[in-house]
Amino acid sequence: MKRFLKVMVLVLFAMAIPSFAQQVIVGVSWANFQEERWKIDERAIRDQLGRMGATYISADAQSSSEKQLNDIDALIARGAKALIILAWDKDAILPAIDKAKAAGIPVVAYDRLIENDYAYYITFDNVEVGRMQAREVFKARPKGNYAFILGANTDPNADFLHKGQLEVLDAAIKRGDIKVVGKQYTEGWKPEVAQRNMEQILTANANKVDAVVASNDGTAGGVVAALAAVGLAGKVPVSGQDGDQAALNRVARGLQTVSVWKDARELGRRAAEAAVLMARGTPMDKLPGRTIFADGPNKVRMNALLLKPIPITRQNLDVVLRAGWITKQALCQGVSGAGAPAACR
Amino acid sequence: MNPPRALLVCLGLWFSGWTLAQVAIPNFIEETQSSGLESRFDGDFVVGGGVAAFDCNDDGLPELVLSGGTNRAKLYLNQSVVGGALRFREQTAGVELEQVVGAYPLDIDSDGKTDLVLLRSGEDVLLRGLGNCRFENANRLWGFQGGNTWTTAFAATWEKGQSWPTLATGGYVNRGTQFPWGSCRGNALYRPAPGSRGFAPPVALEPSFCALSMLFSDWNRSGTPALRVSNDREYYQGKGQEQLWQIIPGQPPRLFSEAEGWKRLQIWGMGIASYDLTGTGYPVYYLTSMGDNKLQMLESPNRPSYTDIAFRRNATAHRPYTGGDVHMSTAWHAQFEDVNNDGLIDLFVSKGNVGFMREAAARDPNNLLLGKPDGTFVEVGDKAGIASFLRGRGAQVMDFNADGLLDIVVVNRLDRAQIWRNLGGTTPSPASATPPAALPLGNWLQVRLQQPGPNPDAIGAWLEVQLANRVLRRELTVGGGHASGGLGWIHFGVASAAQVRMRVLWPDGQWEEWREVQTNQFVILKRGKGIQRFLPASNQP
Repeated sequence: MKRFLKVMVLVLFAMAIPSFAQQVIVGVSWANFQEERWKIDERAIRDQLGRMGATYISADAQSSSEKQLNDIDALIARGAKALIILAWDKDAILPAIDKAKAAGIPVVAYDRLIENDYAYYITFDNVEVGRMQAREVFKARPKGNYAFILGANTDPNADFLHKGQLEVLDAAIKRGDIKVVGKQYTEGWKPEVAQRNMEQILTANANKVDAVVASNDGTAGGVVAALAAVGLAGKVPVSGQDGDQAALNRVARGLQTVSVWKDARELGRRAAEAAVLMARGTPMDKLPGRTIFADGPNKVRMNALLLKPIPITRQNLDVVLRAGWITKQALCQGVSGAGAPAACR
Repeated sequence: MNPPRALLVCLGLWFSGWTLAQVAIPNFIEETQSSGLESRFDGDFVVGGGVAAFDCNDDGLPELVLSGGTNRAKLYLNQSVVGGALRFREQTAGVELEQVVGAYPLDIDSDGKTDLVLLRSGEDVLLRGLGNCRFENANRLWGFQGGNTWTTAFAATWEKGQSWPTLATGGYVNRGTQFPWGSCRGNALYRPAPGSRGFAPPVALEPSFCALSMLFSDWNRSGTPALRVSNDREYYQGKGQEQLWQIIPGQPPRLFSEAEGWKRLQIWGMGIASYDLTGTGYPVYYLTSMGDNKLQMLESPNRPSYTDIAFRRNATAHRPYTGGDVHMSTAWHAQFEDVNNDGLIDLFVSKGNVGFMREAAARDPNNLLLGKPDGTFVEVGDKAGIASFLRGRGAQVMDFNADGLLDIVVVNRLDRAQIWRNLGGTTPSPASATPPAALPLGNWLQVRLQQPGPNPDAIGAWLEVQLANRVLRRELTVGGGHASGGLGWIHFGVASAAQVRMRVLWPDGQWEEWREVQTNQFVILKRGKGIQRFLPASNQP
């Protein structure tokens, strides 16, 4: 009842003083804010809200789906006119979306899919990540024996990535230029599992593997370790993703071909922008860059913004340096001599 | 998020008159080293790691059987002096099998000598108790087909009219494959063989969704327990959920459906604890998982529909409360007991990373949630001294030294099992060389039920203790927890009561009359014969 009164008071205020309605409060519901990476996203969101004259309020679910439901109630009660939700549990969050909808409060599903078409889904295009991985490896080795080290088979992203990889390589596979000599999912995306799988693929093929499409940097690390054990590290192109510090260093040292990087600042900026625009009345299908995403488990057609990641290779390592994503020391550790990439000279 | 008004009114009624300003925090002292327990749970068993606690030499003190994974299981005789430090001595007992992941005590053949169920990767084994802590394999004798899968859950009940128990076992993934996702299999129901002392061939309880805990419990007080199954969503690939099997005597098992009110719930189900937390006579179920743990309250006795009240009761215990790790925690064994004897039920939850899972806390302390007068819980694991950071698995909360204060044993994956003695109000002093004596926090009563004929321990009975202004109720169950079970004294904390009334609803539906009983003692309630005092004293000095 108290909450209802509070909402009523806010509604009356909004009606009585038109200028008050201009002040958009955006509530951000974090899944587990104490994980290091979200600090970068938060700063980007805050900065963009500031630029657009909106106010930031937030809550941290601390890895509890129950707390997150409560948090969202509280954000609405505190006057949020738009919500950015990083869901801890994509299913358990659904009642909160219904509540927001009933209150007419727009929702951005941030980074993690919330499969309800009331939400505007913003994430990086994982199929495109897969395409970029395959493109860079293919550039380096257009023919030969290819191995695929996939992600966890419980993670839908693993299949999106592989879908993108095959889009790029399918023609060469059909032509016979590329022979697939191994393909393995990686339990829990664990590097040690990827390493074991890669070792088995190498053994099964008498070490005749010419290129490895690995789906993230962790698994790429396992692959490179397996290659190093048979003297092939640096000779066989390997892909990855995430811009892990160790992976970027491997790129600098020539042990990994590419790490596809998702710039969290871009994600934060675009989410804040969409939230404010929607709060001010822009319909979802008129938001800048809007596309349709329907590849979720339930194939719900969602308005979405699928951001393009950046493939980081030897040639453009300066991008992550300039973004402050990694220090030069970390990036260039163990890199020296004439063979060093430009960013490390 | 407001609780239903009816509930608020109820809470108001119960807790009016309660004047406890604060809950008393019991002090535990770890006695692993001095206790003589030396058992590790090793191997690539990401789940399991059970312990059984029960008295096998009739001295009133519980023995321990600890699973070892790739190590052999061990039985430890309880040599503790009443009120003193915890002491155990390993004894060869016939339990020394490898690949044991869980253990539950149960008097299968109703001969008054507790038997033991060993859950294994490989053939499950029923061990017949021979007395004086000796056991022999009785699979063949009892016609038990122990299978060859990885068994991770167990529950037992006596169906109406049967002189032999019905057992349920839960299977995990296929260990033979590198990619076990979707390979959940092997849940089975073993009913009595017609007219004989033994089991009929098992009936499959399909679909199986990687059960890690099972419990026969009379959820709606119909007199016929149903089988609750908690399942691990890691492996059922989105197709599974929590389950409630209706087990009606003489009929094939059937799942309660969504049309009947069952609500789909997907968790990393690891353990089940039950207690009449709302005082309505219906059990509330605590389900352990990764991240949020669940506290499931029945909405109405007419439908198997549950509402989650973990958040509002402050019992989600979803991430470490101490130690600084910010990732979600992983919960296993859960048990409702009153560790500070204040008449308000508490909750112990063992915690620990699956292995080396990065998304989950690596340093994940066990929980001790104390019940408060307003019905919520408060976390005191660190203050009470049980916040171990090892990979906790199965556990038992039980009084190992017969002083009325409940102690705790926890099996740890890839580490040594730990045991803590409850010192009550005594603050342990590290400087002192002599083990401290406990100070009581409140009064208590420990009861064993005995009935003639089949099911001598009266599994399925409800035991009620009347305090000044409310009734404490416990359902006697075999199953639940995480791969761990206890059989023996049923413990009640009764706050300041010097005397209480007690009555029993026997499993066949007959009430035993209210009886007055003095607190701070062990009593055996023999069906139709009254109460007998028992003085536990180790007969293994």
